[in-house]
Amino acid sequence: MRREPLDRLIVPAGEAGVLVSVLVGGGLLYASGGGSARDTLVSQMLVNAIMVLGLQVYIGNTGILSFGHMGFAAIAGYAVAVLAIDPAFKQLFIPEAPFGLTGANLHPALATAVAVMLLLAVAFLLGLGLTRSGTRAGAVAPTMITLALLFLVHEAARNFTELTAGDRSGLSFGPGNSLEGRGWIYAALAASVLAARLFRETRTGRLAQAAREDELSARAVGIDPARPQMVALLLSVVLITLGASLRVQLLGSMTPNFFFFDYTLLTLAMLVVGGRKSVTGALIGVVIITAGSELTRYLAGDAVSVPGLDWLLRDGLSDVFLGGAMLGFMIVRPDGLLRDRELGDWLRRRLRSGEEAPEPVTILAKPRRPSTLSATGLTVRFGGFLAVHEASVEVRTGEIVGLIGPNGAGKTTLLNAITGVVPVTSGNVSLGGRDLTRRPAHLIARAGVARTFQNFRLFPALSVREHVEVVSLVAERHRDGRSLPDARALLVAAGLWEARDRVAEEIDTGAARKLELARAAALAPDFLLLDEPTTGMSEAESAAMIEHVRKTAASVGAGVLVIDHDLHFITNVCDRIFVLDQGRVIAHGTPEEVQADPQVRAAYLGADGYG
Amino acid sequence: MTQLVQNLVDGLGQGSIFALLALGLTLIFGVMHLLNFAHGELITVSSYAAYALSTLGVGWEVIALAVIVTSVLAAVVIEFLAFRWVRGASEFTMLLTSFGVHFVVAAVFVMYVSPRPLNISKPGWIFDTVRIGGIALEVVDLATIAVTVATLGGTGWLLRKTLFGIALRAAAEDFDAARIMGVRSNRVIRGAFALSGVLAGVAGIFWLMRTGTAAPTAGLTPLLFGVIAAIVGGLGSLGGAVLGGLALGLAQVFFRAWLPADLAGLTEGLIFVLIALLFIVRPQGFVTVRRAERV
Repeated sequence: MRREPLDRLIVPAGEAGVLVSVLVGGGLLYASGGGSARDTLVSQMLVNAIMVLGLQVYIGNTGILSFGHMGFAAIAGYAVAVLAIDPAFKQLFIPEAPFGLTGANLHPALATAVAVMLLLAVAFLLGLGLTRSGTRAGAVAPTMITLALLFLVHEAARNFTELTAGDRSGLSFGPGNSLEGRGWIYAALAASVLAARLFRETRTGRLAQAAREDELSARAVGIDPARPQMVALLLSVVLITLGASLRVQLLGSMTPNFFFFDYTLLTLAMLVVGGRKSVTGALIGVVIITAGSELTRYLAGDAVSVPGLDWLLRDGLSDVFLGGAMLGFMIVRPDGLLRDRELGDWLRRRLRSGEEAPEPVTILAKPRRPSTLSATGLTVRFGGFLAVHEASVEVRTGEIVGLIGPNGAGKTTLLNAITGVVPVTSGNVSLGGRDLTRRPAHLIARAGVARTFQNFRLFPALSVREHVEVVSLVAERHRDGRSLPDARALLVAAGLWEARDRVAEEIDTGAARKLELARAAALAPDFLLLDEPTTGMSEAESAAMIEHVRKTAASVGAGVLVIDHDLHFITNVCDRIFVLDQGRVIAHGTPEEVQADPQVRAAYLGADGYG
Repeated sequence: MTQLVQNLVDGLGQGSIFALLALGLTLIFGVMHLLNFAHGELITVSSYAAYALSTLGVGWEVIALAVIVTSVLAAVVIEFLAFRWVRGASEFTMLLTSFGVHFVVAAVFVMYVSPRPLNISKPGWIFDTVRIGGIALEVVDLATIAVTVATLGGTGWLLRKTLFGIALRAAAEDFDAARIMGVRSNRVIRGAFALSGVLAGVAGIFWLMRTGTAAPTAGLTPLLFGVIAAIVGGLGSLGGAVLGGLALGLAQVFFRAWLPADLAGLTEGLIFVLIALLFIVRPQGFVTVRRAERV
């Protein structure tokens, strides 16, 4: 039985249905308790929920903090207002709007559709800049660009009065032109929850999440964060546009301050309190913050007076609550109440529990075509420091080649240069005659070079299983024509099957190193580059790891270049060894040849050998 | 020519304020990888101290001192209440923490003082000019530049010659290595916040003199320019921060002087466009700091 559709489509869709029902049902129940004020509050909450889901899709999946989404919202709000407000009303505010927009008279739904198109174009252009400026989670440059957008749109809205009527009056819908009924809100909310929830499960969403967790290792397994981040941005802007359209219709007007700093704070607080990485969490945050704001506003108002608490219950309390909630959660529980858990996770776990372990991988059906990875005359210079100096190394498929040398010899830098992590100053890297010099890291990975890191780098919040599955997604697209290893079988072979649903930050060092290797192997690489796979392991663990490396390499048919300090490892396993000292290759050959080399004994082993 | 010199001095005067703020921001970024969006709150808090004293009719020499003291205290208190708890957290967490501090501080002033801006009486000589060779220069610009030069000189001495300063620079360069070498992280971080408080205080004096306003978000505009200057300067480079600040001040003044009148209202907007373009073209800033991550 195929698990995928149930796991990644049906359960999440059901979850979305439950979430929408609870939110709308609970809201209606509360609203039925009395008055139009409650009705308005509930409608606003549901519209805010759409906006927060828009933020969740981008911020939650990419880890990049955007202050500028309300800038998108402002553009959308104006687009809808200008297109949909009755021309008779527009005559009052913007009689001389450019392009004859004063006369525009579209149905709000049509105006929203136009706004979506407009915003997709804006977001696409901005997205090109954002992904260029930085793709790492928490990167500063994209955050600043979005902040600049927020201020730019605000300034433009205040100054471009022919179109926006500026600060003073704003644009007002007439009495007859406001949101008729709440059906549109429910429909938009349902669509948004479903879209945000399913996006988490799509290939694109999962690639974005991997890059969010660790950009560098995502690139090292062939993920280019720019594309999934762009898609996330576009989807998030569609939801933001929907929400903004409904919000201006609900409020019946549009001014520059509707989507500015205060609303940014409100929606960001909603997003992070419940858990930005989770759709359920984002919605819980909406409810908590709405309830909290209402409560504080009520307490601070004139309606109640609590003796002895007058000093606290004043105007501004609800803003202290918002800022305080954000601050408190950042300090105590930065990933929010739910972290990245969703409503249906228990159900998914139950569905998975019956799953049987597949046979561990033995040998691939189709052996890999023989190939060679070579670095020729490679030089890496950091300022005045020559980390690697005209080094040449070569690995053939089926071979295990060691790279040794004293500390600071440039081994890791050489490996980083081959994999595109540090820039090559001069020299060449090629794979089977194909030039890879100065290609971006993800393209080198897709060409068939996978690696591990000295201080292993996993995707901390992703499950063990997800590590290999997400790489399989990359392999399916970019390593086509080769026989791909079964991701689950790799886990079994690594002894990680039992731990498959645990998150990576919970597993121990030994397991983490094996997982990193399994993740690299899942790419079906022609070459595996391993940076000290046995560091920090006991002798017995080391021996097991050595055996495991050998088996894994054989099972995917890859050549191996391995850096290690463990001479036992190197001499027992390697077919050939390169010795690096002060950035230069000073010797290479079989382990016996290298051990006999007087230069090596002098530089690396000490003049008197093993001493 | 006259106009050019006047603009130059004007720009350097504005830019000095941004430079001081950028230097404080970059110091904090160096020791804890935090881009401190709450740095402007030091000016916000100080603005109310200045307001309180100015209603008492106290002169600006006292107000100036009070502004610096308040700013340092605010910096240390904010570090103690908020930032020390998120040390070593992800950049995302720290960014939002500082964002949260910004809003809480603003809201507290809304609650207990007023949501409306309040007037601080400007010093009597604020509009005075001196003529040097036929060029009229504003006293406030010259004062800002002179005090900034002195402050930067003092900061430079502190960072280069004192044990604390050397520890701070070491920590800014490589925090973990500095800690292993015996630099005490608590002290260095608290010291960095205090120093950034001094710098923000000096910047605050001249900012408040010019604007004459105390408000819950008084620090937002100077903060934004400080952040931009710090990032232009490479975020982590002390010299770069100062250069970034001066460049930004000059850009702003010349922009305003040369922009056609009907576009003048969009000066700020166009600056934001430039900022966005800057981050897209050169996200690492113009003074490149080698912050090699070990992988």
